[in-house]
Amino acid sequence: MDADDRTLAGRASDGDVRAFEVLIRRYGPYMRAYSTRVLGSTDEVDDVVQESFITAWQQLPQLADLTAVKSWLMRIVSHKCIDRIRARRPHADIDDHEPHADDGESPPRRAEAMDRERALEAALAALPEQQRQSWLLREMSGLSYDEIAEELGVPASTVRGFLVRARKSLIRDMEGWR
Amino acid sequence: MSDTPYDSPHVPRIDSTGDDPTDDHPIREAPIREAPIRTAKALGFEPDELDGHTIEELSDYLDRDGQPVDPAIESSPDALLALAALRRLRDLSGSLIEADARAEPPRDDSWISGILANISIEARAGRDIPISHTSPTARLSITEGAVRGLIRAAGDSVEGVLVGRCRLEGDVTIADTPIAVTLEVAVLWGEQIPETTARLRSAVYSQLLRHTELRIASIDITVTDVQFSRAADDALVVGPDEESE
Repeated sequence: MDADDRTLAGRASDGDVRAFEVLIRRYGPYMRAYSTRVLGSTDEVDDVVQESFITAWQQLPQLADLTAVKSWLMRIVSHKCIDRIRARRPHADIDDHEPHADDGESPPRRAEAMDRERALEAALAALPEQQRQSWLLREMSGLSYDEIAEELGVPASTVRGFLVRARKSLIRDMEGWR
Repeated sequence: MSDTPYDSPHVPRIDSTGDDPTDDHPIREAPIREAPIRTAKALGFEPDELDGHTIEELSDYLDRDGQPVDPAIESSPDALLALAALRRLRDLSGSLIEADARAEPPRDDSWISGILANISIEARAGRDIPISHTSPTARLSITEGAVRGLIRAAGDSVEGVLVGRCRLEGDVTIADTPIAVTLEVAVLWGEQIPETTARLRSAVYSQLLRHTELRIASIDITVTDVQFSRAADDALVVGPDEESE
């Protein structure tokens, strides 16, 4: 269970399916968790993560730094998620994804009753879609501003703006909890 | 939940890069206490509330782990307050995805076999390595991928070592070309590395001698990891239905 990523990725890169399976079991849950957050639902998650691993298998021989296999996988799954979101955008009513601004009951008050993760979860869900995506890509996937800009098809300066607003909102919601 | 029979001993991994480099960083010692947060004025986000600093600037400062130290930030209580809040948020983000991943139900085997059914071993075949035959009309060859498989299998038969990436350097498609085999390996903690690699080298060599006609000029082994647990090898022989839990 503790075979290191580099050894496993090296074997998988050379064609060892069993080693690849160990990587799937090791990082599949992270990729699923991440996809669920980004896509906002679980319907497509199975497919997205499966596709990601198939792509990973194809591209693994080109991965120069085998020790970075985790962040590399996260990047692939981020990309697949963004593709899904782009594909669904023309059909989705953007208003459906906007937060409900129910200022009557303050999020911090409700958050107090929740544990920390649930509070962040709620605060995240309340963010506008592009802010949430930027924040997830940055904080959970570790993408750079430029990479996020490329994924979202907006200038890097816009991504910076999204992140600043996302962080302010999240902190505002979270600090009440403390 | 922690002590399943499959858990390996809780020993640190030598290649771990997950350590938080900010752990003993001076800005941890920022004069921030829990108490004032709630009672003091609300946390400010605008430059005039942050001694001229911006959230963006503070985020960047956090991203580079407070290096180089910025005295203007470090001497501003309001900026430090915001920085501490950003740090808590970041730490919490990490624990959120960890918690999410732990809460993921274990995938059934059909989900994994769905992936494995869609990947191609042929993509890893590599070059064709000729094998001579008594009949002049027959042309035999073995793929580079198959030879790598032989090398891994030979390596797996050696106690205390796990072969990672392997390369055949030299033109294997032309018979009698001197070939250098390079192997990256993980060695089990406690093994005598020179002895283990010597056993690995001879196991690989004899397999290659038996199954191929390659002229092996050298077998170069690089130890890229030291493994702390026997589980390293077990992981690769765990059947699909033997997963822990």
